Amino acid sequence: MLKYITKRILQVIPLLIIVSLISFFIIRLSPVDPLAELRLNPSISQETLDKEIKRLNLDKPIYIQYISWAKSFIKGDLGYTSAGEKVSVKLKERIPNTLLLTAIVIFMTWIVGIPLGILAAINKETAFDRMLTVISSIGMAIPSFFFAILLLIFAVKTGWFPVGGLTSYNFNEMSLIGKIIDISKHLVLPVIVLFTISLSGLQRQMRANMLEVLDSDYIKFARAKGLSESKVIFKHALRNAINPMITLLGFEFAGLLSGAALTEYVFQYPGLGRLILEAVMKSDINLVMASLMMGTIMLVLGNLIADILLMIADPRIRGAK
Amino acid sequence: MREMLTKILQDKFAKIAFITLVLLYTIILFANFIAPYSNTYSNRDMSYAPPSKIYTIDENGKLTRPYTYNYVREYEPSLMQTVFKQDRTKKYYIKLFTNGHLFGTEKSGQLYLLGTDINGRDVFSRLLYGGRISMTVGFLALLVVFPIGLLYGGISGYFGGIVDTLMMRFAEAVMAIPSFYLLIILAAILPGGMTSVQRFALIVVILALIGWAGFARVVRGMVLSIKNEDFVLAEKTIGASNLRIILKHILPQTTSYVIIAMTLSVPSYILAESGLSFLGLGIQQPDASWGNMLKEAQEFTNILYRPWLLTPGLLIFIAVLSFNLLGDTIRDILDPKSQKRI
Amino acid sequence: MKRVLVILAVLIFLGIVLKACVRKDMPEDVSIDIKTPDLKEIVYPTDEKNVTINGIDYLQSQAPVGKFGGELVISTIGEGPKTFNPCNTKDATSSSMAGLMYDGLVTTNPRTGEVMPLLAKDIEINSNDYIIRLRHGIKWTDNKPITADDVMYTYNEIVFKGYGNPSTMDAMKVDGKLPELVKLDDFTVKFTTPRAFAPFLRQLSYPIVPKHYFKPYSDRGESVFNAFLTPDTNPEEIVSSGAFKLKEYVAAQRVVFERNPNYYKINLKDEKLPYLNKLVYLIVGDTNNEILKFEAKEIDALSLRGSNVAMYKIKEPNSDYVIYNLGPDTGTLFLVINLNNRRDKNCKPYVDPKKQRWFGNRDFRAAVDWAIDRESMVKNIASGVAEPLFTAESLNSIYLNKYIKGHPYDINVTKESLEKAGFKLKDGILYDSCGNRVEFDLYTNAGNLEREALGVMIKQDLEELGMKVNFKPVEFNSLVNKLTNTHDWDMAIMGLTGSPLEPHDGKNVWTSSGSLHMFNQRPANYNIDDRLDWEKELDEIFAEGAVKLNFEERKPIYDRYQTIIYNQKPIIYLYSPIRITAIRKKIKNIFPTSLSGLLYNLDEIYIDGGEK
Repeated sequence: MLKYITKRILQVIPLLIIVSLISFFIIRLSPVDPLAELRLNPSISQETLDKEIKRLNLDKPIYIQYISWAKSFIKGDLGYTSAGEKVSVKLKERIPNTLLLTAIVIFMTWIVGIPLGILAAINKETAFDRMLTVISSIGMAIPSFFFAILLLIFAVKTGWFPVGGLTSYNFNEMSLIGKIIDISKHLVLPVIVLFTISLSGLQRQMRANMLEVLDSDYIKFARAKGLSESKVIFKHALRNAINPMITLLGFEFAGLLSGAALTEYVFQYPGLGRLILEAVMKSDINLVMASLMMGTIMLVLGNLIADILLMIADPRIRGAK
Repeated sequence: MREMLTKILQDKFAKIAFITLVLLYTIILFANFIAPYSNTYSNRDMSYAPPSKIYTIDENGKLTRPYTYNYVREYEPSLMQTVFKQDRTKKYYIKLFTNGHLFGTEKSGQLYLLGTDINGRDVFSRLLYGGRISMTVGFLALLVVFPIGLLYGGISGYFGGIVDTLMMRFAEAVMAIPSFYLLIILAAILPGGMTSVQRFALIVVILALIGWAGFARVVRGMVLSIKNEDFVLAEKTIGASNLRIILKHILPQTTSYVIIAMTLSVPSYILAESGLSFLGLGIQQPDASWGNMLKEAQEFTNILYRPWLLTPGLLIFIAVLSFNLLGDTIRDILDPKSQKRI
Repeated sequence: MKRVLVILAVLIFLGIVLKACVRKDMPEDVSIDIKTPDLKEIVYPTDEKNVTINGIDYLQSQAPVGKFGGELVISTIGEGPKTFNPCNTKDATSSSMAGLMYDGLVTTNPRTGEVMPLLAKDIEINSNDYIIRLRHGIKWTDNKPITADDVMYTYNEIVFKGYGNPSTMDAMKVDGKLPELVKLDDFTVKFTTPRAFAPFLRQLSYPIVPKHYFKPYSDRGESVFNAFLTPDTNPEEIVSSGAFKLKEYVAAQRVVFERNPNYYKINLKDEKLPYLNKLVYLIVGDTNNEILKFEAKEIDALSLRGSNVAMYKIKEPNSDYVIYNLGPDTGTLFLVINLNNRRDKNCKPYVDPKKQRWFGNRDFRAAVDWAIDRESMVKNIASGVAEPLFTAESLNSIYLNKYIKGHPYDINVTKESLEKAGFKLKDGILYDSCGNRVEFDLYTNAGNLEREALGVMIKQDLEELGMKVNFKPVEFNSLVNKLTNTHDWDMAIMGLTGSPLEPHDGKNVWTSSGSLHMFNQRPANYNIDDRLDWEKELDEIFAEGAVKLNFEERKPIYDRYQTIIYNQKPIIYLYSPIRITAIRKKIKNIFPTSLSGLLYNLDEIYIDGGEK
């Protein structure tokens, strides 16, 4: 098992290299000028601009820029943003917020999506099943940013929820319970948006898995043995149907990271998605590269954890490897 | 094909979805005729005019042919407010088949079924023209994605070994970059000096560049299982070329999956286009797309006071929902136990 | 049973459709009869005075005495501050926040625009000598005294070395030479400029920083210095002088300041200002979010644009806010034409030679100018909340050339000019004298609703004349790259922030070698003199304006530059939005001015009944 994990981690390295190459060159080949804002400021002189160009290495050929970036990345130095802040600090500010949001959303989708998927599979092709499909399709059909904006207006009109952000301005003076309530209030709306988007996929997947398992020989055998239906479903079918879902965790995480960008943007949520979005729009290369690397590492780690979980959950795979 | 259609029409939801889509496509196909205004029309004295009110009972309480009044714009300096008042001196009757359009009023009349936008353009007409872009962008992207994905996945799966490993590592790397950011980066690269047709084409290509990798991976998986089947081995022994085997014998086996993937991925392209336009990177003014029309509706004032600007959002919603429902049914028909997450 | 339900549903549906179709024609009443008070003119009593109590030189506010306590929550649009190092700010948010924390020797009188002492007690000017006397007895937040050493340190080791943002150093240079600075005693310093240089005095608003806190970092070189005082610095350790000190920074969410008990400003009762206990800036991404936050009462002030004004104006009488009209905005919005006739490294012209002939022709530019319907722009795009603009200086500039009256939209003048320039209209299509069809690209930054709508209108206006305009909104940073680097554009809609007090700040735009001389951008280190006659004159104007010291002498010089731009039209100005701000009624001591806006006197603002 340890050997397997080492092997998997080693496999990550070429992946990271390819990802970094693709993203670096695409960004640098774009005509987007990282200094645009400075250039448009009438009071900034040519000397300042030259200095900035030097600092950001913009005067060197692109492959040298890449090599110097790669060198410092290996050393663990993520460099500075185009505004001169430390990239590592910026990431450190944002990653916990994003993890919090995605963790809640994943937890919610699982706790709602899995049972719904099972119910839909058991009641296959009944009115209930169809209704579930339609309802989850509705959730998937609204452009996320649009849904988010409508929810914001709802928040303003009712006054039930704060308008965007993660904490109130007097957060630091609150008691612990007050703090928890404050954060949860801020999280409700973004979670609703992301939850609606990702629920239907999970629900459908679970339904499909469950259908397949229910159709398999050993379930037929279990039924033939005369076990009660609930025992068949919960003891035998469920375990096997959930296993493939674990592999999805990693991808779901990456998907949320990307899907959350517009939602975070509209809700002014201080997460990684919004940070990358802003960085990409400004061609802030160090920031974009670092966050894409983080995203990739998180994806790979997610997959790895999922695989290990799977091995623990399903001895057959352990044998096969 | 006919069999599939009958099956689709048997399902209540799929039937509604199918009819909706057919209707939408018919309307946008004849947009030039159905829309009361041309796609370059704008009346700059009528920026943000509300929808025209159509009356069928006149002021004396008698039933008449439908007619409407023109709006006059007035500015209240003390309130800094623009007010639209009806000019009640002249009635404009709505006629069918006038000026080469399905319906309209006389030349000097205004008929804004869904009001106007900031430049005084008829929102209803633009919805129809915009639909042409939004509803086709997905299909066109698929035309690019499928050949690439099929071939890439086919080759990778068929040859296996080091070729497979290399090709799959590359595809995985593309997949590992969160797609939305890749989309933004690519869209930002688009050179500025493009005509709207070129820009549209390139947006299609960009959407395709993001979708192919996942598709190729699934195709590869399917090819891996197909290539060891007897008929493929038989082809090999009679000396058919590799490319021929892939194209003629292996890829056709994946058709059902391809159809499912097609219907299920169209909505994601429609949504992606709207997301790009939200950030100002999609289809550009003065061309209309549902995404860039919706951008105008983002402002708080517009949502509250000019709800007609929200209609593109409604259409996106209807179109995506229809595609999803239809796709679900097709999947159930073709492959009831489908396990692939698409 | 099921059938009955279906029939019922169909009936209901038909009923709704019929209801929608059958509408009775009834006259509507859309007139609005809400009386709103006129936009107020509130005048600040008199200027601040110096008062000495127990040997400490205070600055006394003349505003009415208010209540202590409470907190003011306002917003800042964008990503929030990048640094709190006042010497290294390169964006507006960072510099306004660092500006709260660090005072300069002088400041701008927010009402008149004149220079007035701040950290300095007074300034004595003898031709090229500026003798500055500091206040006695005032302290940094860590209770160490503010002395001439801090001033010497700030200028000698930061400004003159070009550390951080070197724009002050650039602006202080006269003929490439920096002024001299000597310390006369612990509370007096003297600057000597190489020769008379008008913009110098205003540069003294550069923030003075505490030597004992900054020196350890500046000694370790520039890169260490630039990375110093980033937003994640522990607020406890920051030593500052301004009315507010940093309390908390939460990335992408907010910046919280609290009152500095050591501040040297007092009220009429000799109590130490500021009144506010806390000043909170919420970081919001865009104006839309800002409006929502104001609606939700999360912030206390909101700047309004376009149609939002009417929405708030109507609700004003029954609301908890007041709306102030601050007059035209400082920024300018314009259409710029590319006059570049140079070639790139591969000898390829940046602009197609036939287009160079059109754009280089003054009559062509005039034709474009007269064809632009500013009136409709103001009405449609700015919802009437703007004024047409014709001058290079913004409408609230003290150097505005009031003789330039502008002109209406007149297509006949346009046609005459085009004819004069040799263009011919055939079948609704415009050709130049060589028979080329007039067709060019118009750029602006995508995603900006206002500019995109402007582009659509300008395209229509020009296509009326038979030109073909390809309107191309591109991503903001790419557009700037085009304007300043690659030069491959024809026309563009852009905006710049102006400086209503110092026209010399626009030298990068107007002088021929400026880095923002967009309409005829020369590469860096370009040494061929291919200036147009009026470009030469502009160069002279900006050289001359800088060395004249008093306003009366400078005004005609800068009037002249605006006339040249108006006549030559390399940049065609469109309109200036009017700034309207809503602020909660509970916030007092508001003295809105066109120059400085609403919230410039944060140290005097107090909250009535707002304390918790």
